[in-house]
Amino acid sequence: MVLSAILLGFKYLFKRPYTRMYPYKEKAYTTSKTRARHILYLDRCIGCRACQFACPADAIKMYVLEGDYPKNRKKIFPGIDYSRCTYCGLCVEACPVNALVMTNYTMEHLITEDKSTTLYTPEMLSVPPKGEYIVTLSRDTWKKPPSPIPKKK
Amino acid sequence: MVIRMSKRVISIFLGPQHPGAPGNVAFKLLVDGERVLDIELVPGFLHRGFEKMMEYRRWDMDLVMSARICVEDPDHVELAFTHALEQIYGIEPPEKAKYVRVVVAEFSRLASHLLWMMHFAGPIAARYATSWAIAAREEILKWFDYVTGHRIYHHYIFPGGIRWDIPSDFKERTLKVLKHIEPLIRDLEKGFFKHPIFVKRARDLGRLKPGDAIRLGATGPVLRGSGVKHDLRKLLKYDAYGEIDFEIAHGEYGDAYDRAMVRLKEMYISMEIIKQAISKMPIDGPYRWRLQPAIPAGEGIGRVESARGEFIAHIINKPPNKFSGPLTPYRVKFRGPTMAHLTTVLKHIVRNEEITIADLPVLIGSLDPCPPDIDR
Amino acid sequence: MKLEVDQIVDLDKKLIEKLPEEYKDKVVIKGSGTGKRLEIEIDPLDLCKVLPVVKETGYDHFLGITVIDHPDENVFELVYLISSTKRSGALLVIRTKLNRDNPVIDTASFIYPLAYYQEIEAYEFFGIKFNNHDGLKLWILEDNWRGPPPLRKDVDTRKIVLDLYYGGKRYERPVQWRSLGGLRNTNGDQNE
Repeated sequence: MVLSAILLGFKYLFKRPYTRMYPYKEKAYTTSKTRARHILYLDRCIGCRACQFACPADAIKMYVLEGDYPKNRKKIFPGIDYSRCTYCGLCVEACPVNALVMTNYTMEHLITEDKSTTLYTPEMLSVPPKGEYIVTLSRDTWKKPPSPIPKKK
Repeated sequence: MVIRMSKRVISIFLGPQHPGAPGNVAFKLLVDGERVLDIELVPGFLHRGFEKMMEYRRWDMDLVMSARICVEDPDHVELAFTHALEQIYGIEPPEKAKYVRVVVAEFSRLASHLLWMMHFAGPIAARYATSWAIAAREEILKWFDYVTGHRIYHHYIFPGGIRWDIPSDFKERTLKVLKHIEPLIRDLEKGFFKHPIFVKRARDLGRLKPGDAIRLGATGPVLRGSGVKHDLRKLLKYDAYGEIDFEIAHGEYGDAYDRAMVRLKEMYISMEIIKQAISKMPIDGPYRWRLQPAIPAGEGIGRVESARGEFIAHIINKPPNKFSGPLTPYRVKFRGPTMAHLTTVLKHIVRNEEITIADLPVLIGSLDPCPPDIDR
Repeated sequence: MKLEVDQIVDLDKKLIEKLPEEYKDKVVIKGSGTGKRLEIEIDPLDLCKVLPVVKETGYDHFLGITVIDHPDENVFELVYLISSTKRSGALLVIRTKLNRDNPVIDTASFIYPLAYYQEIEAYEFFGIKFNNHDGLKLWILEDNWRGPPPLRKDVDTRKIVLDLYYGGKRYERPVQWRSLGGLRNTNGDQNE
């Protein structure tokens, strides 16, 4: 009986290990739904602060930017503190104009030696990440929006 | 810390850093030589005050927070919270969401049991079992990443249904995962659960009689390991469990081995449930109802059978007054299964049986504690 | 689902027969879904009269105590959640109201052992005292908290924490000055 367990163990001796050599050799395992770094489209944002009120971790703060933003009269944009962000995606769900989206990019804003780099201002959020990424969570995720509750008879 | 009571009897701490401790809790032991005479739980290393935090936040934020209460089995906490909230709103989720919830919850149970395998096999020095279990869990986490968007905290079960629609190849992908993990679990059974060393280690250890298990408030696999066929999935038939045919895994003798075997059987049953739920799931139809942000006044008690036992979310909402806003719940209370297992049950076993310090990791492991749900 | 309701109604009669006289017509069915339950509202002094009866009739599985603070009515509401393994997991809820100025009630730990620990929790988070309970102390909050019982409604823990750590303001990271009015490139190649 013990021998059979040892023989069973031999089967696993020659299997490829599951460990990923992250971040140097391999990238993180991500899928088409992984929620990670945000991208903010400054030209779409209307400064309604819906994302700020939706954040459970209090990670979003609004910043005033200088420049010409016709849609955003108050010129306030969200900035995200990634050391507090829980990646729940409620801010994306709350955004009415699809200005804030999430990608599956999980590199610099998480792996850092200096904690102050995890604080992302609107300009930093508006610059797309340098590596490969796809937009995973946006208003298009709810292409079929939630249905209203049927009335009881 | 060592307090000397007499020449032989001393009081020592086990945990929270001890490798045999289940993490985040400490135990105060009264030992006579090797034998443990009494055990007392010292919680509070992970108290985050969720119940108070939830009174300050809206219900959708509360759901995000509720998953953090039990890290290893987050979907059942979300499910309990969702049930309670849906009772307050007075709605039933759409048919499709019910089936998806069953699949997600059962995968969460599988992942939790596999993680328990790692915690349990470690103290018995069966390192091979830990790595096989983690390899199987990894596949489930990848599935979670694909469907819900995250590996650990999913926030996929949402009041009113599920958060977003399932991907188009949901069924194939799910069956592929099951195909991958099933041989791993069969190997675990052959290589670990039937292994004579493990059988000798766990047999006759920590026996709990069925009457005591009920009296002390044990739930889940600990209760079923003692031979009580009590499973809320079968009894309350919440979500789509009423449509699915499955049996309740139960032990007979009530020792650590029986409890471990109950979890192993539950893994097979979970896979069976997932297969049935997928085949019966409607493809079309709404997946989520849109709920008003303001919670109506009312009370809801969500009870679910989590991987460790009965999880209850009790939400009370009153009309807005000086002490609560219109969008926040008035009071949220969570009842986790671990408090009973680590206090009354463990104390009962230690006082009535000859347990040595070396047995403790195996005994505590067989109860499958998740200390965060004591502290919350 | 229909079968389950029948069982609860059936149990109603057995429980009602044994309950003390004044509570016989006060048992009600409430809730829906997994929260379907029987409810009794009792006087706090009668707790030790009602609980043994309840245990005898098959409600043997103690789940927990929920404490709700109602400062506007000046009461603490205690909700005992008890399920039954014999009656297919039916839930019984016993509610009782204590005066907020002097919240004292008998312990249930001699009837249901798990209540011992749930009562410690009620003590440390709400300051409710239990007669004949020998272990009332700070348990989860040991060494973590000084001040009033934190889950009371009139205790603003957020304000306490802000006063204690952040000087009464919103929590903010000290590096945030650099984002106001445009960003200077401070950290390498991440931005233009």
